[in-house]
Amino acid sequence: MSGEEEENAAELKIGEEFLKAKCLMNCEVAIILEHKYEQIQQHASESDPSSQVSQVFEKSLQYVKRFSRYKNPDAVRQVRETLSRYGLAEYELCTLGNLCPDTSGEATALVPSLKSGGRFVGDAGDEKIEKMLNDLSLIKKFE
Amino acid sequence: MVFLEAEMSWNVLISPSQLDRKGLLLRKAIIVRLMEDVTNRKASKEHGYYIAVNQLKAISEGKVRELTGDVLFPVSFTCITLKPMKGEIMVGYVDRILKHGIFLKSGPVESIFLAEKSMSDYKYIAGENPVFMNDHSKLEKGTAVRFKVLGFRWMEADREFQLLATIACDFLGPL
Repeated sequence: MSGEEEENAAELKIGEEFLKAKCLMNCEVAIILEHKYEQIQQHASESDPSSQVSQVFEKSLQYVKRFSRYKNPDAVRQVRETLSRYGLAEYELCTLGNLCPDTSGEATALVPSLKSGGRFVGDAGDEKIEKMLNDLSLIKKFE
Repeated sequence: MVFLEAEMSWNVLISPSQLDRKGLLLRKAIIVRLMEDVTNRKASKEHGYYIAVNQLKAISEGKVRELTGDVLFPVSFTCITLKPMKGEIMVGYVDRILKHGIFLKSGPVESIFLAEKSMSDYKYIAGENPVFMNDHSKLEKGTAVRFKVLGFRWMEADREFQLLATIACDFLGPL
């Protein structure tokens, strides 16, 4: 069905350019898109009333607003800092930040590459993941 | 679903009518034209959906097109993109329910099909508002669902991706 048979997000085989590109979590994208939307509205009212945002932009803005867990920009920054301390790939960091799993079991089911990387091995690994998820939920509490 | 900030280059064509004005307006014209071009392009097989132009990195020297008088400016910029990946976990909501499966939408991705086969424990209940139900949950229009991407296809004609989804794994299904 798809041309890129070797690509598989679960195993973090996602193509060189995507590994190098910076990944953004839904909450970060929400902040950027909202800002852009305001800019475009301002620009539109000044000179060109017909300049509208595209369908893709609108749908993405709706989507990230609905599914971003952290609304406060400081909280968003803290989430990124916290997750960066655990040696995750950008892609894994964003997936975890977006889906916010509650337990280490859920986290490993959703992001299987966590286990295969050799960073979170065995029970000690599970505990490390639990601690990471705890740190995330603390940020949410004090947002 | 993970958004990427990718660096890209593009050639922006400015017509001579916009070149009469001073330097500052030229830069604005290039930015506006770039945003229009990216919007019109909508998506590509390589990068996925183009969501928004983020930052303009550099505008190189313009080259004049001999025949038309337009000027071509090679521009490099960063853009927020979204490309579905096989094996990725995404969240979407139910758009249409049919007997053999459910159509989902997720952000800019409009065609996501969840086959009835991968929802083996759910039963189809026909009616004016059809739903899929199992012992402890219901899938109806508007329900948010977490699913895994089994595969996807790039449709050149519509310039969009079509995804095949499944919820036959742990922690997937309605939220």
